[in-house]
Amino acid sequence: MNGTRAATAATWMLGGLVGLCIATMLGLLFFTLGSGLASLRPGTLERITLADGSSRLAEVVADDGNALLLRTSETRRLGEGYERVRRGDVVARRAPVDAFMIGLGDGRRVLGIGDDAALAAAVGSVGALARVVEVLRPNALGAFEGAGIFLRRLARFVATPPDASNLAGGVLPALVGTVTLVLLMSVLVMPFGVAAAVYLHERRGVGARIVRTAIDTLAGVPAIVYGVLGLGLFVHGIGAGIDRWFYADRLPVPTFGGGGLLWAALTLALLTLPVVVVSVEQGLARIPSSLRDGSLALGATREETLWRLLLPAARPAVLTGFVLAIARAAGSVAPLMLVGMVKLAPASPLDGAFPYLHPSRQFMHLGFAVYDAALASPDAIRGVPRAYACAMLLVCVVIVLNLSAILLRNRLRDRYRALES
Amino acid sequence: MSNSVTPAIDGGASVSREQAAGAAPALRTRALSLWYGARRALDAVDLDVPARRITALIGPSGCGKSSLLRCLNRLNDEIEGTRVEGEVRLGEADVYAPDAFVHELRRRVGIVFQRPNPFPLSVHDNVAYGLRLLGIRSRRELDERVEAALKAAALWDEVASRLDDGALGLSLGQQQRLVIARAIAVEPEVLMLDEPASALDPAATLRFEELLHELAGRYTLLLVTHNMQQAARVSDFTAFMHAGRLIEFGDTDALFTNPRERQTEDFITGRYG
Repeated sequence: MNGTRAATAATWMLGGLVGLCIATMLGLLFFTLGSGLASLRPGTLERITLADGSSRLAEVVADDGNALLLRTSETRRLGEGYERVRRGDVVARRAPVDAFMIGLGDGRRVLGIGDDAALAAAVGSVGALARVVEVLRPNALGAFEGAGIFLRRLARFVATPPDASNLAGGVLPALVGTVTLVLLMSVLVMPFGVAAAVYLHERRGVGARIVRTAIDTLAGVPAIVYGVLGLGLFVHGIGAGIDRWFYADRLPVPTFGGGGLLWAALTLALLTLPVVVVSVEQGLARIPSSLRDGSLALGATREETLWRLLLPAARPAVLTGFVLAIARAAGSVAPLMLVGMVKLAPASPLDGAFPYLHPSRQFMHLGFAVYDAALASPDAIRGVPRAYACAMLLVCVVIVLNLSAILLRNRLRDRYRALES
Repeated sequence: MSNSVTPAIDGGASVSREQAAGAAPALRTRALSLWYGARRALDAVDLDVPARRITALIGPSGCGKSSLLRCLNRLNDEIEGTRVEGEVRLGEADVYAPDAFVHELRRRVGIVFQRPNPFPLSVHDNVAYGLRLLGIRSRRELDERVEAALKAAALWDEVASRLDDGALGLSLGQQQRLVIARAIAVEPEVLMLDEPASALDPAATLRFEELLHELAGRYTLLLVTHNMQQAARVSDFTAFMHAGRLIEFGDTDALFTNPRERQTEDFITGRYG
């Protein structure tokens, strides 16, 4: 009776904690996705009249109860339109149907009110000085038109390069950089991780103990330290050496002796190595020793047993390590700042020119785009929606990479399920 | 149930005994001792396993039966801290010779464990595993030999239509016969079975014992069993082990009806322990 009650309490507590974890996770996900998507939705333009008699056409971008943050027309400089007004000063708010907005390539938005002739005149005068990317009447949009604009903005955000200031336009290079980096990292980390796990599983000597200690220690090292290690070992060590031997004619301009995609991928590979090793080793340990004996008894050598039986049977664990490594790597930004991640890369490490992948080039990264938009732009409030949008995209990239790896693993795991029971 | 099987086996065994008398043993040990670290698991075992007969190995738990099997195909090499003294001969070959090719020896001495251990592969690939190790690549030859092995293990009719399904989906009895098919596919000279029927239900056990008789004509079988009646039913010769020593070896009927040693008698009459 008592035992039952205790078990019930423990069950509820565990269930509650699991529920809390799931709720936190979903909350984070929905917040990121929601904020990111909301930043792309066309907002209502309002004519705000204040107590002093002045009035301005603006979008209300934030409302904290005491004050409204307005974004009015920006004719000269990006960010000049932000204005904070006290709520008590506002005497009238209305949304004129004939308000229009002209979006420019550098992120500025010119607002106005008037009929189509007035709009055309405004587009003409603004368009003479800047590239017009979007013209709309946000207050007159139907549901479908609104959705169309939203999708067009999303497509432009994902599929175009940024404006020269990196404060407007799309994030395609950062997206490409992130995905290329993570994929290159996973290609580099898997052979080393699997080899180390096999070594630890097969050997029990002093060497294995040293390797195990080293890997456990690696797991506890702060991410930024990996950046320093990558800078010293890969960039200034190996990279500079490669330059001296193979690219001497180009010095002092570095080829591999500067930060680049390859060094960043290797740094991340070091960072994720413990994850892969632990996962693969556990997978190997789960394989019953009777299978090993069965293979040896048929005349297989240890190597044949490893390649033909143990590694194939450990494939789900190898893929679990792969999934975890990708999740860890896609979220690591700090170490990359030292080994080749830049705000604005002059050339993409992945392009149409042979050999298509240029591992020595610097690259852009979505994680850095979040940081850059949120903190490094001239005024904070303006960058936040862009930071949300970048964060949303980063989360989506991680989810897509993870889901594809998990699906792959599950397809394999079905074949081996009976082993685990 | 055992009554219906015993007469048939007795008939077969009486013929075989006469033939076996002059034949050279397939497997021979001389003063074979084994240590796990400081613990002595086998103590000067002299055993001649007659060719193409079923020899049962009986004895209380922990008496060294399984250790002996693992010595004969050098699987004990894989356990750290083991030490072997004495001689094992497979036909003419010295199993523990310094230049012995262990993997070739293991192929010649197949083993089937207590719990079936099919690999997490398809039925076909399980049986083909050892064949591929031999370097056989031709799809046709693999298919033919897989079919032959499965037929010899009395499993072909049940799995012919699902050769590409996972082996782990088979029943325990089927898995055990699959493991036997896998072992005999590489044409071993000796097939050792370590309590192969202990995980099976009575019906599957009965079937399994029939299979052993079919195999006995082609292979030398060495069967470890806890089941005295099974040893009496199935085997031509029986070896009784106790505390790492071979106490008595002889014709099964003689050993069970008229044991020479007191320990043997105590064990087979259930007075042991």
